[in-house]
Amino acid sequence: MITSDSIFDDSLSFEEKVLRIFEFQKQNNPTYQRFCDALEIRNVQTPQEIPLLPIQAFKDTEVITTAEHSTFFQSSGTTGMERSRHYLIEPELYHQSIIRGMQYFYDLDEYVIWAYTPGYNQNPNSSLIWMLNTLIEREESGLSKFLELGKRLDESELDKIQQSGKKLMLFGAAFGLMDILENHPVQLPEDSVILETGGMKTHRREITKEQLHQQLAKGFGLPQTQIHSEYGMTELLSQAYAQGSLWFECVPWMKVSIRDPKDPMKEVENGEEGLIGVIDLANLYSCSFILTGDKGIQREDGKFQVLGRWNPQNLRGCNFLINHD
Amino acid sequence: MKSAIDITQTVKNWLDPENQTLQKAVEKTISEGLFSSEDIQHQLSVLRGNVENGDVEEWVKRAGLTDEKNAKDKKVLCLHAGNLPLVGFQTAIGVILSGADYYGKLSRKDPHLLGSFLKEIQQANIGQEIQFSTDLDSFENLEADSVVFAGSENSVPDVKAGIQKRSAAKPNATYLIRTAKFSMVFLNKWNEEIKEELVEAMLRYGGKGCRSVAVVVAEFELDEVKEELRTSIQNFWKENPQHQKPAPELKYQFAYNEGIQRNQLWLEHFLIQETEELPETDFTVNWVQGDEEIVRALRMKFGEVVQSVYTAGSEIERLKTDPLSQAQNPPIWWKPDGVDVIRELIR
Repeated sequence: MITSDSIFDDSLSFEEKVLRIFEFQKQNNPTYQRFCDALEIRNVQTPQEIPLLPIQAFKDTEVITTAEHSTFFQSSGTTGMERSRHYLIEPELYHQSIIRGMQYFYDLDEYVIWAYTPGYNQNPNSSLIWMLNTLIEREESGLSKFLELGKRLDESELDKIQQSGKKLMLFGAAFGLMDILENHPVQLPEDSVILETGGMKTHRREITKEQLHQQLAKGFGLPQTQIHSEYGMTELLSQAYAQGSLWFECVPWMKVSIRDPKDPMKEVENGEEGLIGVIDLANLYSCSFILTGDKGIQREDGKFQVLGRWNPQNLRGCNFLINHD
Repeated sequence: MKSAIDITQTVKNWLDPENQTLQKAVEKTISEGLFSSEDIQHQLSVLRGNVENGDVEEWVKRAGLTDEKNAKDKKVLCLHAGNLPLVGFQTAIGVILSGADYYGKLSRKDPHLLGSFLKEIQQANIGQEIQFSTDLDSFENLEADSVVFAGSENSVPDVKAGIQKRSAAKPNATYLIRTAKFSMVFLNKWNEEIKEELVEAMLRYGGKGCRSVAVVVAEFELDEVKEELRTSIQNFWKENPQHQKPAPELKYQFAYNEGIQRNQLWLEHFLIQETEELPETDFTVNWVQGDEEIVRALRMKFGEVVQSVYTAGSEIERLKTDPLSQAQNPPIWWKPDGVDVIRELIR
């Protein structure tokens, strides 16, 4: 039996933990068990033999290993839209994953956290807001907070952060950060870091990630190396980060692979496009083996890029494809 | 119209079972593993029926094509898909009937069958330019007036860029782009005949045509007819062995359905599953229990990717429907995406 403590335990290798968690979830997660049985997955010797559950399962059913849960996270969406639900059995595990994950990439004690997102009370079932709330509550200066949407960033508060000897880490969705620049432009202290959390498409505009980062850097007066990204979602309790480039790196208890959409048991070659597959050990009590609907590519060192949503609509019916027909 | 009569006669000659050119094209297509013999023979038999029924003449009439009103001297570039045998035939003959000069980029997946027809037309000297190739580069500097092709939202920019790069069409050329991907059926009753028609509509050509049924809305659950369908499908495959096998993603989908306990009929090489989602992958049919209101709602939700909505005789208020029996046996004048290619070219 694997416990939540061992997820972050360095004495066990990632592979060992993966295999133990696979056995645990195959036995205790009925959805995953039926999925594996139908694929005739029996004795697994390596992580590569483990099937990844399509992420849609979090919309279609309950992906859980036990009926008891303290709360759930829910993906955003409009009325009538199907939304994912991720049941949280042990909030402390997510808490640990957030803090340890951030500490893996940043010296968290150096930063004041500002979140240009809805506040915790407005959206307690968002895993992102929960994460930001955790970071804000942990920070001791009293300067960390959720910002009021649509309002100008308070420059006197920016001064206070500088006077405190700390640096600013500003979180926000892509379109929210662009709104700040359009409506209330402000120059941030030069050692600030912006962490955009995705959300490239809005009803108003669609731009590439590269363009977004260029515009954010220019608008906030920062070098592009200080525009970072987070790759996370309701269905994952760990996140990957890209620090100043488009390449994401995972925390040590999370691993990404790029899967062949025609055969999701197979990984594609480095540099080839496919579906992003994730092993997230922090998903101990739901399912750690997830096939996302995102398109991505990966390079030899394991870093990956997110290229948007995978769109399979080309694949059916009459369709002239210039390189195939 | 004399030319229409000449073209019809040429089609008849080409379709003659004794025609050696066609026979060779069929043999080559089969030997290269492009399509199954059964699917090719089905397609040829549908076309023979069309010609014998006077469908070509009917199409000319429906489109309002006359000696005065036609597309003479227009250059039309057709980019044919190759997902099923002779899928480009209707467009090709439509363009030729319109009086336009025809330039066809044949699919590498179906070069012989349509090619054999076009050779026959070339030899008939109907007074129109007929050129074809499997290589788009052959149409460099063509500067066509119109371009016809089947595509999707994603593929259109690449195709247009490819055409522009080669000056294969004029900068102001009109584009007729087919975006339909699959068809739906509404079933409010069930009997032996409907079952056979449904199986043919779902499985012919491996379900790869835009006329193939990929969504069933039925007033009854899949479970009620599951075993009958299984037997019927297996019988269909005995007579029409599946030419292509699905990718492993289909088994993955089956396993996913097992995981979330979604009702389904799994046939190793084909999957029918109860879901209202967009049917995105080949060899899959989505089954929805519902009434006419659900059909209208799904038709609207799926939008332009739906080619036809079939019924087994009934009508659906405020929705155009076609008979299920015609799914894989359409008249030659059927309208892909609701657009008559001849009417469009002479407009």
